[in-house]
Amino acid sequence: MAIYEAMQEDASIHLLGEGAEIKQHYDAPYILADFPERIITMPISEDGNTNFAVGLALMGIKPVVDVIAGDFLYRTLDSIANTAAKLDFVSGREHTIVIRAEFLLGGPTTGQRPEAIFAHIPGLRVLLPSTPREAYALMRDALVTPGVTLFFEDRMIRDDDDWDEADLKLEGCVPADKCSWRMKGQRGNVTILTYGVMRQVVERALRPFKSDGDPYSESNQMLCDVIDLWSLYPINWGFLDKMLERTCRLLIVEPDVIYGGIGAELVARLAEMRPGIRIKRLGAPRTTVPASPALHAQILPNEEQIVSAIRKLSQQ
Amino acid sequence: MVLIRVLEDRLQELANQGHGADWHFSKGQEAIAVGVCAALRETDYLVAHHRTIAHAVAKGVPLEPLVAELLGKTTGMNGGMAGEMHMSYPPKRFMFSFQLVGTCIPVAAGLAWAVKNYLKTDDIVVVFHGDAATANGQWHEGVNIAAVQKLPLLLVCENNHLAGNVRPEHYLPTSFVSQRAGGYGIKSAIVDGNDVAAVRDAAEYGVNYVRQHSVPFMLECDTTRLGKHKQGQGDLRSVAEMTELTMRDPLHNVDRSLYRDAEEQVAQAIEAAMRSSDPVLPKV
Repeated sequence: MAIYEAMQEDASIHLLGEGAEIKQHYDAPYILADFPERIITMPISEDGNTNFAVGLALMGIKPVVDVIAGDFLYRTLDSIANTAAKLDFVSGREHTIVIRAEFLLGGPTTGQRPEAIFAHIPGLRVLLPSTPREAYALMRDALVTPGVTLFFEDRMIRDDDDWDEADLKLEGCVPADKCSWRMKGQRGNVTILTYGVMRQVVERALRPFKSDGDPYSESNQMLCDVIDLWSLYPINWGFLDKMLERTCRLLIVEPDVIYGGIGAELVARLAEMRPGIRIKRLGAPRTTVPASPALHAQILPNEEQIVSAIRKLSQQ
Repeated sequence: MVLIRVLEDRLQELANQGHGADWHFSKGQEAIAVGVCAALRETDYLVAHHRTIAHAVAKGVPLEPLVAELLGKTTGMNGGMAGEMHMSYPPKRFMFSFQLVGTCIPVAAGLAWAVKNYLKTDDIVVVFHGDAATANGQWHEGVNIAAVQKLPLLLVCENNHLAGNVRPEHYLPTSFVSQRAGGYGIKSAIVDGNDVAAVRDAAEYGVNYVRQHSVPFMLECDTTRLGKHKQGQGDLRSVAEMTELTMRDPLHNVDRSLYRDAEEQVAQAIEAAMRSSDPVLPKV
């Protein structure tokens, strides 16, 4: 929808990818009929397709490259890291490229999460919205922001949608370095930084705990400030630091492998900014994603682990 | 050709004195860039690989910003931030150059798609690549895309029969590179890449073919690299082999009086670049 509406306003936006013309654009059914010349069906050559998009960008086109699945990003790591990410730096000119992929939870090569790898590479912005509202607004922002944006969608969110009405409101455009303060209005004891599919799990875990006015009650001890990072680069460090000022307790709940992940950077930077804060990280073990659906539940943190981590942190 | 040779010779001296970077020179291969660019319109687009100096000069990039870029100075065509292997100069439609072997092909296909379907002009894109690049997946993916999308792309193969110091038996299973083009339904021609007039004539045929039919065409230019692969790397070829290759130097019969003017232009450009300041690392 965001791409479709942006295409109506900006004739330079083109959408390309494997099977781009036959893909079900479920929220923009008229995209192909309205823009047949701006939807390019590419072969199964992920790396070549991204380099091709760089060529389009050199000619003033704003390409949106659909790489389809997160695991396929490894196939096009070279063109993203070595070609697209370097374009503006070496030329001194601005180009706008959006590279989009979906994260699955399927198996060894249909469930990997490369967001931390891309957040590490200079020249890339990494966006990972967790609600339709943010997905819309961030895509609109990406299409008017020079540079290379990696736009990731957690498909698990779609499979398990537990939305507030506000999450479904599609309008506007948000700057990527913002983040969203969820469950606002309560005075938390712990600051939770989360993103992607884990945002819903955190909110479900916290739902039973409401403020009862008694600062010493167990329910009140469990109140948290939940920050949903919809951008993994850039990050609004000043805001995160301010959020930690009061709680001094930081819980990271990430959907990715903990080792060397986004949480590691968040913790390191925030501990430098605010020495002495208490820290706990929850995330995936450093294991290959198993194909067996029965084992998927063991990959991501669950509500119980989140509640237990908050309890431990808030008592420290 | 003389300007390229003189420029690279002077840069070689600077490199020997410790200036600059690991430059890749085109000594012995100049006739290809010059012959092909002579067959292009000024509005046609060029994408280069990592051996860029000859292509830039042949496409008309002015010497001062070119030399300053090679030396990493602020007055360089990209402010000194691109260096030899990533430079670009759109005013002369020298669109980009890529250090990683093979990358230039799918990028050039993207440019050609945009020329044909977005800008809708009858300009064409020429992309240069080496024989060794055809062992890389990016070459094949890019050529495949160009063929499937029927793009106005002239593929110019500078076949110097070397990948750095490695011989073709390690990367090329065919007798000629252009045989590979046939696998993608792309027509091709082979020419003596050290004969500038022959290159220009063959390129004119190729350019016209691409412009007229709006499909890719490959021109394979058989050539000789008379220098080492890059600065700081040795050359494994024997003196006898180099002597034999030198017999094919495209500048063998060039009028020596042409050198005087080239020397003057190059000296001026180098002097101006040396006076220029170093760039500052952009703030994050």
